[in-house]
Amino acid sequence: MKKVVACYKWVIDEADIRVEEKDHSLNFERAKYKISEYDRNAIEAGALLNEEKGCEFLAVTCGPNVEASLKDVLSRGPASISYVNEEWLADVDSSVTSKILAGIIKKIGNVDLVICGEGSSDDYSQQVGPRLAALLGYASVTFVNKLDITEEGIKVERKLEDGVEVLEVKGPAVVTVLPDINKPRIPSLKQILAAKKKPTEKISLKEIGFDINASQPKLKTLSISGTVMERKNMQINTDGLSIKDAALKLVKQLNADGSLA
Amino acid sequence: MTKFWIISDVAETSYELLGKARELLGDQEGIITVYLIGNETTGQEAIGYGADLVKLMELPPDTTWEQYAPVLVQEAQASQPEMILVGATRRGKDLAAQLAALLDSPCVTECKSIEYDDGKVILKRIIYGGLAEKIIECCQFPVIATVASRTFEKWTAKDASREGTIEKLDLPAGVNVQVVERRSKPQEVVNIKDASIVVGVGRGFSEQDELKMAEELAKVLGGEVACSRPIAEDLHWLPEDRYIGISGQIIKPNVYIAAGISGQVQHVYGIRDAKTIIAIDKNENAPIFQVADYYIVGDLKEVLPALTEAVKEVKAANKG
Repeated sequence: MKKVVACYKWVIDEADIRVEEKDHSLNFERAKYKISEYDRNAIEAGALLNEEKGCEFLAVTCGPNVEASLKDVLSRGPASISYVNEEWLADVDSSVTSKILAGIIKKIGNVDLVICGEGSSDDYSQQVGPRLAALLGYASVTFVNKLDITEEGIKVERKLEDGVEVLEVKGPAVVTVLPDINKPRIPSLKQILAAKKKPTEKISLKEIGFDINASQPKLKTLSISGTVMERKNMQINTDGLSIKDAALKLVKQLNADGSLA
Repeated sequence: MTKFWIISDVAETSYELLGKARELLGDQEGIITVYLIGNETTGQEAIGYGADLVKLMELPPDTTWEQYAPVLVQEAQASQPEMILVGATRRGKDLAAQLAALLDSPCVTECKSIEYDDGKVILKRIIYGGLAEKIIECCQFPVIATVASRTFEKWTAKDASREGTIEKLDLPAGVNVQVVERRSKPQEVVNIKDASIVVGVGRGFSEQDELKMAEELAKVLGGEVACSRPIAEDLHWLPEDRYIGISGQIIKPNVYIAAGISGQVQHVYGIRDAKTIIAIDKNENAPIFQVADYYIVGDLKEVLPALTEAVKEVKAANKG
Protein backbone atom coordinates (compact mmCIF):
# COMPACT_ATOMS: atom_id res chain seq x y z
CA MET A 1 0.00 0.00 0.00
CA LYS A 2 1.35 3.40 -0.99
CA LYS A 3 1.88 5.91 1.77
CA VAL A 4 0.82 9.48 1.07
CA VAL A 5 1.50 12.51 3.28
CA ALA A 6 -0.06 15.96 2.90
CA CYS A 7 1.70 18.97 4.44
CA TYR A 8 -0.30 21.96 5.55
CA LYS A 9 0.22 25.33 7.20
CA TRP A 10 -2.07 26.87 9.79
CA VAL A 11 -2.18 30.56 8.85
CA ILE A 12 -3.80 33.84 9.75
CA ASP A 13 -6.75 34.56 7.47
CA GLU A 14 -5.50 37.51 5.42
CA ALA A 15 -9.05 38.73 4.85
CA ASP A 16 -9.23 39.58 8.60
CA ILE A 17 -6.13 41.77 8.61
CA ARG A 18 -6.67 45.51 8.69
CA VAL A 19 -4.15 48.07 7.51
CA GLU A 20 -3.95 51.05 9.89
CA GLU A 21 -4.09 54.25 7.91
CA LYS A 22 -1.89 56.30 10.19
CA ASP A 23 1.26 54.19 10.07
CA HIS A 24 0.43 51.38 7.63
CA SER A 25 0.89 48.81 10.37
CA LEU A 26 -1.15 45.63 10.31
CA ASN A 27 -3.88 45.06 12.82
CA PHE A 28 -4.41 41.38 13.61
CA GLU A 29 -6.97 41.87 16.41
CA ARG A 30 -9.82 40.29 14.51
CA ALA A 31 -7.72 37.75 12.68
CA LYS A 32 -8.69 34.11 12.84
CA TYR A 33 -6.63 31.16 11.72
CA LYS A 34 -7.40 28.85 8.83
CA ILE A 35 -5.87 25.98 6.87
CA SER A 36 -3.84 27.74 4.18
CA GLU A 37 -6.04 27.84 1.04
CA TYR A 38 -4.04 25.67 -1.34
CA ASP A 39 -3.15 23.21 1.41
CA ARG A 40 -6.86 22.33 1.46
CA ASN A 41 -6.37 21.12 -2.10
CA ALA A 42 -3.31 19.15 -0.99
CA ILE A 43 -5.29 17.48 1.80
CA GLU A 44 -8.17 16.76 -0.57
CA ALA A 45 -5.80 15.20 -3.11
CA GLY A 46 -4.49 12.88 -0.39
CA ALA A 47 -8.01 12.02 0.78
CA LEU A 48 -8.99 11.09 -2.78
CA LEU A 49 -5.95 8.84 -3.18
CA ASN A 50 -7.02 7.13 0.03
CA GLU A 51 -10.65 6.70 -1.02
CA GLU A 52 -10.09 5.86 -4.67
CA LYS A 53 -6.72 4.08 -4.67
CA GLY A 54 -6.56 2.69 -1.15
CA CYS A 55 -3.44 4.63 -0.22
CA GLU A 56 -2.55 5.16 3.39
CA PHE A 57 -3.02 8.89 4.02
CA LEU A 58 -1.47 11.00 6.78
CA ALA A 59 -0.96 14.71 7.38
CA VAL A 60 1.94 16.66 8.85
CA THR A 61 2.41 20.24 9.97
CA CYS A 62 4.58 22.48 12.10
CA GLY A 63 4.18 25.95 13.54
CA PRO A 64 2.98 27.83 16.60
CA ASN A 65 -0.50 26.88 17.91
CA VAL A 66 -1.01 24.17 15.30
CA GLU A 67 -2.95 22.09 17.82
CA ALA A 68 -5.98 24.26 17.09
CA SER A 69 -5.92 22.95 13.51
CA LEU A 70 -5.90 19.22 14.19
CA LYS A 71 -9.63 18.43 14.35
CA ASP A 72 -10.43 20.48 11.26
CA VAL A 73 -7.74 18.74 9.24
CA LEU A 74 -8.57 15.26 10.52
CA SER A 75 -12.18 15.70 9.39
CA ARG A 76 -10.86 16.15 5.84
CA GLY A 77 -9.47 12.67 5.43
CA PRO A 78 -6.05 11.88 6.95
CA ALA A 79 -5.85 8.89 9.32
CA SER A 80 -3.56 10.80 11.67
CA ILE A 81 -1.46 13.95 12.00
CA SER A 82 2.15 14.20 13.11
CA TYR A 83 3.17 17.70 14.10
CA VAL A 84 5.76 19.92 15.72
CA ASN A 85 4.27 22.69 17.82
CA GLU A 86 6.76 25.41 18.80
CA GLU A 87 6.15 29.07 19.57
CA TRP A 88 9.33 30.26 17.86
CA LEU A 89 8.13 28.86 14.55
CA ALA A 90 5.97 31.99 14.20
CA ASP A 91 8.73 33.82 12.38
CA VAL A 92 10.81 31.31 10.48
CA ASP A 93 11.58 31.05 6.79
CA SER A 94 11.01 28.19 4.36
CA SER A 95 14.44 26.72 5.07
CA VAL A 96 13.49 25.98 8.69
CA THR A 97 9.95 24.82 7.90
CA SER A 98 11.15 22.41 5.22
CA LYS A 99 13.84 20.94 7.49
CA ILE A 100 11.31 20.24 10.24
CA LEU A 101 8.74 18.77 7.83
CA ALA A 102 11.44 16.64 6.21
CA GLY A 103 12.37 15.40 9.69
CA ILE A 104 8.77 14.42 10.46
CA ILE A 105 8.37 12.69 7.10
CA LYS A 106 11.60 10.73 7.59
CA LYS A 107 10.40 9.70 11.04
CA ILE A 108 7.12 8.43 9.56
CA GLY A 109 9.23 6.48 7.08
CA ASN A 110 8.61 4.86 3.70
CA VAL A 111 6.55 7.74 2.38
CA ASP A 112 5.90 7.38 -1.37
CA LEU A 113 4.27 10.70 -2.08
CA VAL A 114 4.28 14.07 -0.32
CA ILE A 115 1.63 16.60 -1.35
CA CYS A 116 1.89 20.33 -0.61
CA GLY A 117 -0.13 23.33 -1.73
CA GLU A 118 1.51 25.52 -4.40
CA GLY A 119 2.22 28.16 -1.75
CA SER A 120 0.92 29.42 1.57
CA SER A 121 -1.78 32.08 1.88
CA ASP A 122 0.39 34.26 4.09
CA ASP A 123 3.97 34.25 2.79
CA TYR A 124 3.41 32.52 -0.54
CA SER A 125 7.09 31.74 -0.87
CA GLN A 126 6.31 28.54 -2.76
CA GLN A 127 9.54 26.96 -1.54
CA VAL A 128 8.61 24.29 0.97
CA GLY A 129 7.56 21.69 -1.64
CA PRO A 130 10.73 21.75 -3.78
CA ARG A 131 12.94 22.24 -0.70
CA LEU A 132 11.36 19.14 0.86
CA ALA A 133 12.02 17.19 -2.32
CA ALA A 134 15.68 18.22 -2.26
CA LEU A 135 16.09 17.41 1.44
CA LEU A 136 14.37 14.03 1.14
CA GLY A 137 16.06 13.13 -2.15
CA TYR A 138 12.64 12.84 -3.80
CA ALA A 139 11.66 14.09 -7.25
CA SER A 140 10.15 17.59 -7.20
CA VAL A 141 7.07 18.16 -9.33
CA THR A 142 5.38 21.51 -8.84
CA PHE A 143 2.15 23.25 -9.99
CA VAL A 144 0.25 20.03 -10.59
CA ASN A 145 -3.41 20.02 -11.55
CA LYS A 146 -3.80 16.33 -12.37
CA LEU A 147 -2.37 13.59 -10.19
CA ASP A 148 -2.52 9.83 -10.38
CA ILE A 149 -0.57 7.23 -8.45
CA THR A 150 0.88 4.25 -10.35
CA GLU A 151 2.75 1.06 -9.50
CA GLU A 152 6.16 2.67 -10.08
CA GLY A 153 5.41 6.16 -8.88
CA ILE A 154 3.09 8.87 -10.10
CA LYS A 155 1.74 10.39 -13.28
CA VAL A 156 0.95 14.10 -13.25
CA GLU A 157 0.13 17.11 -15.35
CA ARG A 158 1.72 20.38 -14.36
CA LYS A 159 0.57 23.73 -15.58
CA LEU A 160 3.32 26.13 -16.62
CA GLU A 161 3.36 29.56 -18.22
CA ASP A 162 3.95 28.11 -21.69
CA GLY A 163 1.72 25.05 -21.49
CA VAL A 164 1.25 21.67 -19.86
CA GLU A 165 3.89 19.07 -19.00
CA VAL A 166 2.69 15.49 -18.60
CA LEU A 167 5.20 13.64 -16.44
CA GLU A 168 5.84 10.18 -15.11
CA VAL A 169 7.92 9.89 -11.99
CA LYS A 170 9.58 6.69 -10.88
CA GLY A 171 10.09 6.47 -7.15
CA PRO A 172 9.07 8.83 -4.39
CA ALA A 173 8.06 12.40 -5.15
CA VAL A 174 6.96 15.68 -3.65
CA VAL A 175 4.23 17.41 -5.63
CA THR A 176 2.74 20.84 -5.11
CA VAL A 177 -0.84 21.22 -6.29
CA LEU A 178 -2.80 24.04 -7.88
CA PRO A 179 -6.26 25.08 -6.68
CA ASP A 180 -7.95 23.69 -9.78
CA ILE A 181 -6.82 20.10 -9.07
CA ASN A 182 -9.93 19.43 -6.98
CA LYS A 183 -12.66 21.02 -4.93
CA PRO A 184 -11.86 20.60 -1.22
CA ARG A 185 -14.69 18.90 0.64
CA ILE A 186 -16.82 20.42 3.31
CA PRO A 187 -16.55 17.75 6.02
CA SER A 188 -19.78 15.95 6.86
CA LEU A 189 -21.02 15.60 10.43
CA LYS A 190 -19.92 11.97 10.33
CA GLN A 191 -16.43 12.98 9.24
CA ILE A 192 -16.26 15.61 11.96
CA LEU A 193 -17.27 13.09 14.62
CA ALA A 194 -14.86 10.48 13.26
CA ALA A 195 -12.03 13.04 13.43
CA LYS A 196 -12.31 13.11 17.22
CA LYS A 197 -11.25 9.48 17.43
CA LYS A 198 -8.26 9.78 15.12
CA PRO A 199 -4.77 9.78 16.63
CA THR A 200 -2.33 12.69 16.55
CA GLU A 201 1.34 12.61 17.37
CA LYS A 202 3.21 15.54 18.84
CA ILE A 203 6.84 15.29 17.89
CA SER A 204 9.76 17.01 19.61
CA LEU A 205 12.60 18.58 17.70
CA LYS A 206 14.93 16.14 19.41
CA GLU A 207 13.04 13.15 18.02
CA ILE A 208 13.68 14.33 14.48
CA GLY A 209 17.25 15.34 15.19
CA PHE A 210 16.61 19.00 14.47
CA ASP A 211 19.42 21.18 15.79
CA ILE A 212 17.96 24.55 16.54
CA ASN A 213 21.36 26.26 16.64
CA ALA A 214 22.52 24.87 13.33
CA SER A 215 19.24 25.68 11.61
CA GLN A 216 18.43 29.26 12.39
CA PRO A 217 16.31 31.20 9.90
CA LYS A 218 18.49 32.66 7.16
CA LEU A 219 16.30 35.66 6.58
CA LYS A 220 15.37 38.39 9.02
CA THR A 221 12.18 40.38 8.67
CA LEU A 222 13.00 44.06 9.12
CA SER A 223 9.48 45.38 8.66
CA ILE A 224 6.02 44.57 7.41
CA SER A 225 3.83 47.38 6.25
CA GLY A 226 0.43 47.46 4.63
CA THR A 227 0.54 48.52 1.02
CA VAL A 228 -1.35 51.73 0.54
CA MET A 229 -1.83 53.19 -2.89
CA GLU A 230 -1.82 56.91 -3.37
CA ARG A 231 -4.87 57.40 -5.54
CA LYS A 232 -7.13 60.36 -6.20
CA ASN A 233 -10.32 58.57 -5.05
CA MET A 234 -12.49 61.00 -6.97
CA GLN A 235 -16.12 60.12 -7.60
CA ILE A 236 -17.24 61.51 -10.95
CA ASN A 237 -21.01 61.21 -10.70
CA THR A 238 -21.56 63.48 -7.71
CA ASP A 239 -23.98 66.39 -7.33
CA GLY A 240 -26.65 64.65 -9.36
CA LEU A 241 -24.52 64.41 -12.48
CA SER A 242 -26.13 61.93 -14.88
CA ILE A 243 -24.27 58.80 -15.92
CA LYS A 244 -24.01 60.14 -19.45
CA ASP A 245 -22.49 63.43 -18.32
CA ALA A 246 -20.26 61.69 -15.80
CA ALA A 247 -18.96 59.39 -18.55
CA LEU A 248 -18.14 62.36 -20.74
CA LYS A 249 -16.51 64.22 -17.87
CA LEU A 250 -14.38 61.18 -17.07
CA VAL A 251 -13.27 60.63 -20.66
CA LYS A 252 -12.41 64.34 -21.05
CA GLN A 253 -10.36 64.09 -17.88
CA LEU A 254 -8.48 61.08 -19.28
CA ASN A 255 -7.96 62.97 -22.51
CA ALA A 256 -6.54 65.93 -20.62
CA ASP A 257 -4.25 63.57 -18.67
CA GLY A 258 -2.94 62.30 -22.01
CA SER A 259 -4.19 58.80 -21.22
CA LEU A 260 -6.16 58.27 -24.41
CA ALA A 261 -3.27 58.62 -26.82
CA MET B 1 35.97 39.28 -6.78
CA THR B 2 32.21 39.40 -6.62
CA LYS B 3 30.41 36.72 -8.54
CA PHE B 4 26.81 36.96 -9.60
CA TRP B 5 24.73 34.28 -11.17
CA ILE B 6 21.60 34.57 -13.22
CA ILE B 7 19.45 31.57 -14.07
CA SER B 8 16.40 31.79 -16.28
CA ASP B 9 14.35 29.57 -18.55
CA VAL B 10 13.20 32.73 -20.33
CA ALA B 11 16.07 34.58 -22.03
CA GLU B 12 14.33 37.96 -21.96
CA THR B 13 14.05 37.82 -18.16
CA SER B 14 17.74 37.04 -17.86
CA TYR B 15 18.54 40.30 -19.67
CA GLU B 16 16.47 42.21 -17.11
CA LEU B 17 18.21 40.40 -14.26
CA LEU B 18 21.53 41.31 -15.88
CA GLY B 19 20.49 44.95 -15.65
CA LYS B 20 19.97 44.53 -11.91
CA ALA B 21 23.19 42.57 -11.43
CA ARG B 22 25.19 45.23 -13.31
CA GLU B 23 23.63 47.91 -11.12
CA LEU B 24 24.44 46.01 -7.91
CA LEU B 25 27.96 45.36 -9.08
CA GLY B 26 28.56 49.02 -9.92
CA ASP B 27 32.26 49.72 -10.18
CA GLN B 28 33.28 46.61 -8.28
CA GLU B 29 35.26 44.02 -10.08
CA GLY B 30 33.08 41.04 -10.73
CA ILE B 31 31.95 38.29 -13.02
CA ILE B 32 28.37 37.70 -14.04
CA THR B 33 27.47 34.24 -15.24
CA VAL B 34 24.16 33.65 -16.96
CA TYR B 35 22.50 30.24 -17.24
CA LEU B 36 19.77 30.40 -19.83
CA ILE B 37 17.80 28.34 -22.30
CA GLY B 38 18.97 29.38 -25.73
CA ASN B 39 21.51 29.15 -28.50
CA GLU B 40 24.68 31.05 -29.48
CA THR B 41 22.65 34.05 -30.61
CA THR B 42 20.79 34.27 -27.31
CA GLY B 43 24.10 33.87 -25.53
CA GLN B 44 25.69 36.71 -27.49
CA GLU B 45 22.66 38.88 -26.73
CA ALA B 46 23.14 38.17 -23.01
CA ILE B 47 26.78 39.19 -23.27
CA GLY B 48 25.69 42.43 -24.90
CA TYR B 49 23.39 43.00 -21.94
CA GLY B 50 26.21 42.55 -19.46
CA ALA B 51 27.02 38.85 -19.05
CA ASP B 52 30.66 37.76 -18.88
CA LEU B 53 30.05 34.06 -19.13
CA VAL B 54 27.01 32.36 -20.59
CA LYS B 55 26.15 28.72 -19.99
CA LEU B 56 23.56 27.51 -22.43
CA MET B 57 20.88 25.15 -21.24
CA GLU B 58 18.14 23.39 -23.13
CA LEU B 59 14.55 22.58 -22.32
CA PRO B 60 15.25 18.84 -22.19
CA PRO B 61 12.85 16.91 -24.43
CA ASP B 62 12.56 13.94 -22.08
CA THR B 63 12.79 15.43 -18.61
CA THR B 64 12.12 18.65 -16.72
CA TRP B 65 14.36 21.70 -16.79
CA GLU B 66 14.65 21.61 -13.02
CA GLN B 67 16.78 18.47 -13.37
CA TYR B 68 19.71 20.87 -13.86
CA ALA B 69 19.61 21.48 -10.08
CA PRO B 70 22.37 19.02 -9.06
CA VAL B 71 24.68 20.30 -11.84
CA LEU B 72 24.12 23.87 -10.72
CA VAL B 73 24.85 22.86 -7.13
CA GLN B 74 28.23 21.49 -8.18
CA GLU B 75 29.00 24.63 -10.15
CA ALA B 76 27.93 26.85 -7.24
CA GLN B 77 30.11 24.95 -4.80
CA ALA B 78 33.06 25.39 -7.14
CA SER B 79 32.57 29.03 -8.07
CA GLN B 80 30.94 30.40 -4.86
CA PRO B 81 28.63 33.06 -6.26
CA GLU B 82 27.49 35.73 -3.85
CA MET B 83 24.05 36.16 -5.29
CA ILE B 84 21.92 33.99 -7.57
CA LEU B 85 19.03 35.71 -9.33
CA VAL B 86 16.50 33.33 -10.85
CA GLY B 87 13.72 34.25 -13.26
CA ALA B 88 10.51 33.62 -11.30
CA THR B 89 8.65 31.45 -13.73
CA ARG B 90 7.06 28.34 -12.25
CA ARG B 91 10.07 26.31 -13.39
CA GLY B 92 12.41 28.96 -12.03
CA LYS B 93 10.80 29.03 -8.60
CA ASP B 94 10.96 25.23 -8.34
CA LEU B 95 14.62 25.16 -9.35
CA ALA B 96 15.57 28.06 -7.06
CA ALA B 97 14.01 26.43 -4.00
CA GLN B 98 15.71 23.09 -4.70
CA LEU B 99 19.00 24.86 -5.19
CA ALA B 100 18.51 26.75 -1.93
CA ALA B 101 17.82 23.54 -0.02
CA LEU B 102 20.81 21.75 -1.55
CA LEU B 103 23.16 24.67 -0.85
CA ASP B 104 21.47 25.33 2.52
CA SER B 105 20.93 28.89 1.38
CA PRO B 106 18.35 31.59 1.94
CA CYS B 107 15.90 32.12 -0.88
CA VAL B 108 13.53 35.02 -1.35
CA THR B 109 10.61 34.51 -3.71
CA GLU B 110 9.50 37.12 -6.24
CA CYS B 111 11.53 40.07 -5.02
CA LYS B 112 10.39 43.56 -5.89
CA SER B 113 13.66 45.18 -4.98
CA ILE B 114 17.17 44.11 -4.11
CA GLU B 115 19.75 46.51 -2.67
CA TYR B 116 23.01 46.33 -0.80
CA ASP B 117 23.25 48.02 2.55
CA ASP B 118 26.51 47.83 4.42
CA GLY B 119 27.39 44.33 3.31
CA LYS B 120 23.87 43.02 3.79
CA VAL B 121 21.29 42.43 1.15
CA ILE B 122 17.91 44.08 1.64
CA LEU B 123 15.04 42.60 -0.31
CA LYS B 124 11.42 43.52 -0.60
CA ARG B 125 8.51 41.24 -1.33
CA ILE B 126 4.76 41.10 -1.09
CA ILE B 127 2.87 38.98 1.43
CA TYR B 128 -0.73 38.32 2.53
CA GLY B 129 -2.06 38.23 -1.02
CA GLY B 130 -0.85 41.73 -1.78
CA LEU B 131 -1.98 43.35 1.45
CA ALA B 132 1.47 44.07 2.78
CA GLU B 133 5.09 44.50 1.87
CA LYS B 134 7.85 42.79 3.79
CA ILE B 135 11.40 44.04 3.96
CA ILE B 136 13.90 41.30 4.54
CA GLU B 137 17.54 41.37 5.52
CA CYS B 138 19.91 38.69 4.50
CA CYS B 139 23.56 38.39 5.36
CA GLN B 140 24.20 34.78 4.48
CA PHE B 141 25.63 33.98 1.08
CA PRO B 142 24.87 32.91 -1.53
CA VAL B 143 21.52 34.59 -1.36
CA ILE B 144 19.09 33.25 -3.91
CA ALA B 145 16.30 35.52 -5.12
CA THR B 146 13.62 34.84 -7.69
CA VAL B 147 12.41 37.78 -9.72
CA ALA B 148 9.42 37.99 -12.04
CA SER B 149 9.79 39.28 -15.58
CA ARG B 150 9.52 43.03 -16.01
CA THR B 151 10.56 43.77 -12.45
CA PHE B 152 13.89 45.27 -13.45
CA GLU B 153 15.09 47.17 -16.50
CA LYS B 154 17.62 45.87 -18.96
CA TRP B 155 21.12 47.31 -18.83
CA THR B 156 21.13 50.68 -20.52
CA ALA B 157 24.80 50.36 -21.46
CA LYS B 158 24.03 47.46 -23.80
CA ASP B 159 26.86 46.90 -26.19
CA ALA B 160 26.46 44.31 -28.93
CA SER B 161 30.23 44.12 -29.38
CA ARG B 162 30.95 43.23 -25.72
CA GLU B 163 33.02 40.12 -25.39
CA GLY B 164 32.35 37.12 -23.26
CA THR B 165 32.45 33.36 -23.20
CA ILE B 166 29.68 31.01 -24.21
CA GLU B 167 29.67 27.40 -23.05
CA LYS B 168 27.19 24.56 -22.93
CA LEU B 169 25.86 23.08 -19.70
CA ASP B 170 25.21 19.36 -19.66
CA LEU B 171 22.26 17.71 -17.97
CA PRO B 172 22.89 14.95 -15.45
CA ALA B 173 22.13 11.45 -16.69
CA GLY B 174 19.71 8.96 -15.21
CA VAL B 175 16.91 11.14 -14.03
CA ASN B 176 13.70 9.72 -12.57
CA VAL B 177 11.27 12.23 -14.07
CA GLN B 178 10.12 11.49 -17.63
CA VAL B 179 8.26 13.88 -19.87
CA VAL B 180 5.43 11.96 -21.53
CA GLU B 181 4.13 14.92 -23.42
CA ARG B 182 4.36 18.70 -23.64
CA ARG B 183 1.34 20.60 -24.84
CA SER B 184 2.00 24.22 -25.55
CA LYS B 185 -0.69 26.65 -24.71
CA PRO B 186 -2.56 28.10 -27.67
CA GLN B 187 -0.84 31.41 -28.20
CA GLU B 188 -2.95 34.36 -27.26
CA VAL B 189 -2.87 36.91 -30.04
CA VAL B 190 -2.36 39.67 -27.53
CA ASN B 191 -0.59 39.85 -24.26
CA ILE B 192 -2.64 41.92 -21.85
CA LYS B 193 0.59 43.00 -20.21
CA ASP B 194 1.38 44.95 -23.36
CA ALA B 195 -1.96 46.74 -23.55
CA SER B 196 -1.85 50.39 -22.55
CA ILE B 197 -5.54 50.37 -21.68
CA VAL B 198 -7.21 47.41 -19.99
CA VAL B 199 -10.86 46.93 -19.10
CA GLY B 200 -11.20 44.38 -16.29
CA VAL B 201 -14.48 42.56 -15.76
CA GLY B 202 -15.65 40.90 -12.57
CA ARG B 203 -18.54 39.27 -10.82
CA GLY B 204 -20.63 42.41 -11.31
CA PHE B 205 -21.53 41.02 -14.73
CA SER B 206 -24.48 38.69 -14.31
CA GLU B 207 -24.15 36.88 -17.62
CA GLN B 208 -21.47 36.22 -20.19
CA ASP B 209 -23.33 38.08 -22.89
CA GLU B 210 -22.92 41.33 -20.97
CA LEU B 211 -19.14 41.16 -21.47
CA LYS B 212 -19.81 42.60 -24.93
CA MET B 213 -20.25 46.01 -23.33
CA ALA B 214 -16.75 45.80 -21.88
CA GLU B 215 -15.37 44.53 -25.18
CA GLU B 216 -16.89 47.48 -27.04
CA LEU B 217 -15.40 49.95 -24.59
CA ALA B 218 -12.00 48.26 -24.87
CA LYS B 219 -12.28 48.36 -28.65
CA VAL B 220 -12.94 52.09 -28.94
CA LEU B 221 -10.12 52.72 -26.47
CA GLY B 222 -7.74 50.47 -28.38
CA GLY B 223 -7.37 48.34 -25.27
CA GLU B 224 -7.93 44.78 -24.10
CA VAL B 225 -10.40 42.99 -21.86
CA ALA B 226 -9.13 41.21 -18.76
CA CYS B 227 -10.89 39.84 -15.69
CA SER B 228 -10.82 38.80 -12.05
CA ARG B 229 -9.90 35.25 -11.08
CA PRO B 230 -13.46 33.82 -10.69
CA ILE B 231 -14.41 34.94 -14.21
CA ALA B 232 -11.59 32.81 -15.63
CA GLU B 233 -11.28 29.91 -13.19
CA ASP B 234 -14.85 29.36 -11.98
CA LEU B 235 -17.00 30.68 -14.81
CA HIS B 236 -14.51 30.16 -17.68
CA TRP B 237 -15.88 33.22 -19.49
CA LEU B 238 -12.38 34.34 -20.43
CA PRO B 239 -9.10 32.43 -20.82
CA GLU B 240 -6.88 32.13 -17.75
CA ASP B 241 -4.25 34.29 -19.46
CA ARG B 242 -6.54 37.20 -18.94
CA TYR B 243 -7.09 37.07 -15.24
CA ILE B 244 -5.39 39.72 -13.20
CA GLY B 245 -4.11 39.24 -9.69
CA ILE B 246 -1.22 38.18 -7.56
CA SER B 247 -1.31 34.64 -8.92
CA GLY B 248 -2.28 35.73 -12.45
CA GLN B 249 -1.23 38.65 -14.60
CA ILE B 250 0.35 41.68 -13.02
CA ILE B 251 -0.25 44.60 -15.36
CA LYS B 252 1.00 48.16 -15.59
CA PRO B 253 -1.24 49.84 -18.14
CA ASN B 254 -1.73 53.56 -18.57
CA VAL B 255 -5.38 53.15 -17.72
CA TYR B 256 -7.14 50.31 -15.95
CA ILE B 257 -10.91 50.29 -15.88
CA ALA B 258 -12.36 47.92 -13.27
CA ALA B 259 -15.93 47.10 -14.23
CA GLY B 260 -18.00 45.19 -11.69
CA ILE B 261 -14.92 44.16 -9.71
CA SER B 262 -15.32 44.36 -5.95
CA GLY B 263 -11.63 44.84 -5.28
CA GLN B 264 -10.24 41.88 -3.35
CA VAL B 265 -6.66 42.26 -2.13
CA GLN B 266 -5.40 39.62 -4.56
CA HIS B 267 -6.88 41.35 -7.61
CA VAL B 268 -5.82 44.84 -6.60
CA TYR B 269 -2.27 43.62 -6.35
CA GLY B 270 -2.26 42.93 -10.06
CA ILE B 271 -3.18 46.53 -10.96
CA ARG B 272 -1.40 48.58 -8.37
CA ASP B 273 1.15 49.87 -10.84
CA ALA B 274 -1.45 51.08 -13.32
CA LYS B 275 -0.96 54.78 -13.97
CA THR B 276 -4.63 55.59 -13.65
CA ILE B 277 -7.29 53.35 -12.14
CA ILE B 278 -10.95 53.83 -12.93
CA ALA B 279 -13.66 51.83 -11.19
CA ILE B 280 -17.30 51.26 -11.96
CA ASP B 281 -19.55 49.38 -9.58
CA LYS B 282 -23.08 49.73 -8.38
CA ASN B 283 -22.13 49.16 -4.74
CA GLU B 284 -20.99 52.52 -3.41
CA ASN B 285 -19.01 50.78 -0.66
CA ALA B 286 -17.05 48.56 -3.02
CA PRO B 287 -13.42 48.37 -1.82
CA ILE B 288 -12.27 48.94 -5.42
CA PHE B 289 -13.19 52.64 -5.08
CA GLN B 290 -10.54 53.04 -2.37
CA VAL B 291 -7.86 52.19 -4.88
CA ALA B 292 -9.33 54.11 -7.81
CA ASP B 293 -8.37 57.53 -9.12
CA TYR B 294 -11.76 58.13 -10.68
CA TYR B 295 -14.94 56.20 -10.14
CA ILE B 296 -18.54 56.09 -11.12
CA VAL B 297 -21.13 54.49 -8.89
CA GLY B 298 -23.70 52.98 -11.17
CA ASP B 299 -25.10 50.14 -13.20
CA LEU B 300 -22.63 48.65 -15.67
CA LYS B 301 -25.34 48.39 -18.28
CA GLU B 302 -25.71 52.14 -18.17
CA VAL B 303 -22.14 53.27 -17.47
CA LEU B 304 -20.22 51.13 -19.98
CA PRO B 305 -22.23 52.15 -23.09
CA ALA B 306 -22.09 55.78 -21.92
CA LEU B 307 -18.31 55.58 -21.64
CA THR B 308 -18.06 53.99 -25.08
CA GLU B 309 -20.06 56.83 -26.58
CA ALA B 310 -18.04 59.44 -24.69
CA VAL B 311 -14.77 57.98 -25.94
CA LYS B 312 -16.02 58.08 -29.53
CA GLU B 313 -17.07 61.68 -29.09
CA VAL B 314 -13.82 62.85 -27.50
CA LYS B 315 -11.68 60.96 -30.00
CA ALA B 316 -13.64 62.47 -32.89
CA ALA B 317 -13.11 65.94 -31.40
CA ASN B 318 -9.37 65.24 -31.06
CA LYS B 319 -9.15 64.42 -34.75
CA GLY B 320 -11.25 67.35 -35.83
